[in-house]
Amino acid sequence: MTFPRPRLLSSQPLLLGVGFGILILIGIAGAFLSNQARREADWIEHTLQVEQQISTLLLQVRRAESYKRGYVITMDDGFLSDYQKAANGIPPAYDRLKLLTADNPAQQQFVAELGPLLDQRLADFAVAIDAMQNNDIATAQALVRRMEGRDHTERIRELAERMTATEAGLLVDRRQAAARTSILLAAVTIGGAILIMLLGIASVFAVQRTTRQRDEAEKGLIDTNENLEKIVEERTADLQEANAEIQRFAYIVSHDLRSPLVNIMGFTAELEAWRDEALARIESLRERGAPAEDADEGDQDEGELAGEFNEAINFIKSSITKMDKLINAVLKLSREGRREFHPEPIDMAQLLDGIISTVAHQTAETGTTIAVRELPQAKSDRLALEQVFSNLIDNALKYLKDGVPGEIEITGRETPLQVIYEVKDNGRGIDPKDHERIFDLFRRAGQQDRAGEGIGLAHVRTLVRRLGGRMDVSSELGQGSVFTVTLPKYWNVRSERSAA
Amino acid sequence: MTTPVTIVMVEDDEGHARLIEKNIRRAGVNNEIIPFTSGGAALDFLLGPDGSGTVNKGNPLLVLLDLNLPDMSGVDILKRVKENEHLKRSPVVVLTTTDDAVEIQRCYDLGCNVYITKPVDYEKFAHAIRQLGLFFAVIQVPPAA
Repeated sequence: MTFPRPRLLSSQPLLLGVGFGILILIGIAGAFLSNQARREADWIEHTLQVEQQISTLLLQVRRAESYKRGYVITMDDGFLSDYQKAANGIPPAYDRLKLLTADNPAQQQFVAELGPLLDQRLADFAVAIDAMQNNDIATAQALVRRMEGRDHTERIRELAERMTATEAGLLVDRRQAAARTSILLAAVTIGGAILIMLLGIASVFAVQRTTRQRDEAEKGLIDTNENLEKIVEERTADLQEANAEIQRFAYIVSHDLRSPLVNIMGFTAELEAWRDEALARIESLRERGAPAEDADEGDQDEGELAGEFNEAINFIKSSITKMDKLINAVLKLSREGRREFHPEPIDMAQLLDGIISTVAHQTAETGTTIAVRELPQAKSDRLALEQVFSNLIDNALKYLKDGVPGEIEITGRETPLQVIYEVKDNGRGIDPKDHERIFDLFRRAGQQDRAGEGIGLAHVRTLVRRLGGRMDVSSELGQGSVFTVTLPKYWNVRSERSAA
Repeated sequence: MTTPVTIVMVEDDEGHARLIEKNIRRAGVNNEIIPFTSGGAALDFLLGPDGSGTVNKGNPLLVLLDLNLPDMSGVDILKRVKENEHLKRSPVVVLTTTDDAVEIQRCYDLGCNVYITKPVDYEKFAHAIRQLGLFFAVIQVPPAA
């Protein structure tokens, strides 16, 4: 089952990236624009300074002129000292103006023109005052009266006005520029904010969509899981039914196979009885009718006949016995397969002690030692586990290596979900190619010098599987064997229908 | 002794039937043995064509029953006999290969009088049947009501 891949999930980082990009751009633009605004403000202030400086200069010149005029009229030394102060202030004021307008060539021109005019004015003032100090009042007054001074004054005023006008023009331009910049700054900020808001809304939608898709996917997953569980349940039920059917089949087959066997056995026995009767009759007939010299030969023939008859009968009988054993084994297995389990916590050491005590005389006879290490507790069916471990221990005792005292060791460990037991021996071992075969019904491996039908391990594996576990072997010829029984730690075998 | 007991043998395997008969005879039982190889035929005989069992009224019957029959389970026959007003007191001996404990219990629950598992080993089989024959020779069988 596939779900549509949520595309918006991948567009979220994109949105985030775009958002960050816009923020960075707004930051850069903002920094740039505010820097520009600051520079423009500086320029405006500069213009204002220039304007102020122009008027300061003009004021100084006017003050110097009026003090000079006062002195010329009154001859008061107070005016003279005031004049000196004002005149002295003119050059620094001029220098400062020159410095301030250094960036503007047009203003520089005006300033350059202003310089000599100012010098001329100061020189004129100085001549007039000198004349007054020398009591040459007429010269001084003549000087004052001269239009030259007025021309200069006019020119200075005119220059100052033009400079002021220039600066005023600059001020207007700069104010406009500053206004534009601030509008731009506001626009960038507001636009950015709007964009970010839009992005935010988009990502909220995206998140909502993603969440919805995720919820849907989750719901789908839950549905699938539930379905899966149902499917597994159905399959398990099917399997259990199939298994039960096989068990019933095995039971019926083995059961019905016994019936003809009874006949074969019965009539064979009857045949035996008739043979004795027939031989006895032949004997009596011969005694009555046959000549004496043939009697020995006849006896011999009869002895041979009886021998062959017996051989045949014995083969039939032993085959029947064997078949009966096999059928009984299948019956037993199918019956075990139908027995219901009763899980309970089992102290494995105790269970194994019980098994070991039942094989005590065998261990004593063969000099075998059985060591039981620390074992985890199992929760399982007691009878089944007894059968499993007594089978494994029996096998270990049965297939010892000739001339080597047996050593059997039973160890255990647990994992979060399983308990694992190992029965280890130093016996004759099993060829790896036979590892599967030994678990098959009626199949055996290695040297066939011990009695057995090849049922034990098949039975053990069936039992362990029914207990929800698994059975493994690891072994090499002549190297001993390790049989591993893995059982679930928590009993999880569904209760099957009770034996029919 | 009034009417001699009739032994009704329900056994699908003719070989078994023959062996059983032989060994019963060896025990000195000479009663009539009527063999049936199917459950249907046996029921027809026991209950009569009307299925009421009145046909055997007054006849002492002993039923020797195998459980594995081709047309029905011997358990059904046992049930029908033990539920029948006239036949319910007739002894039923179940003689079968099954030694399943649940099956044995069920038969006794349904009113079976003796349950014997056929041994595969013929010596034991013959012995068991002869013992059964001896038992037949001594038990009292009431006539069907």
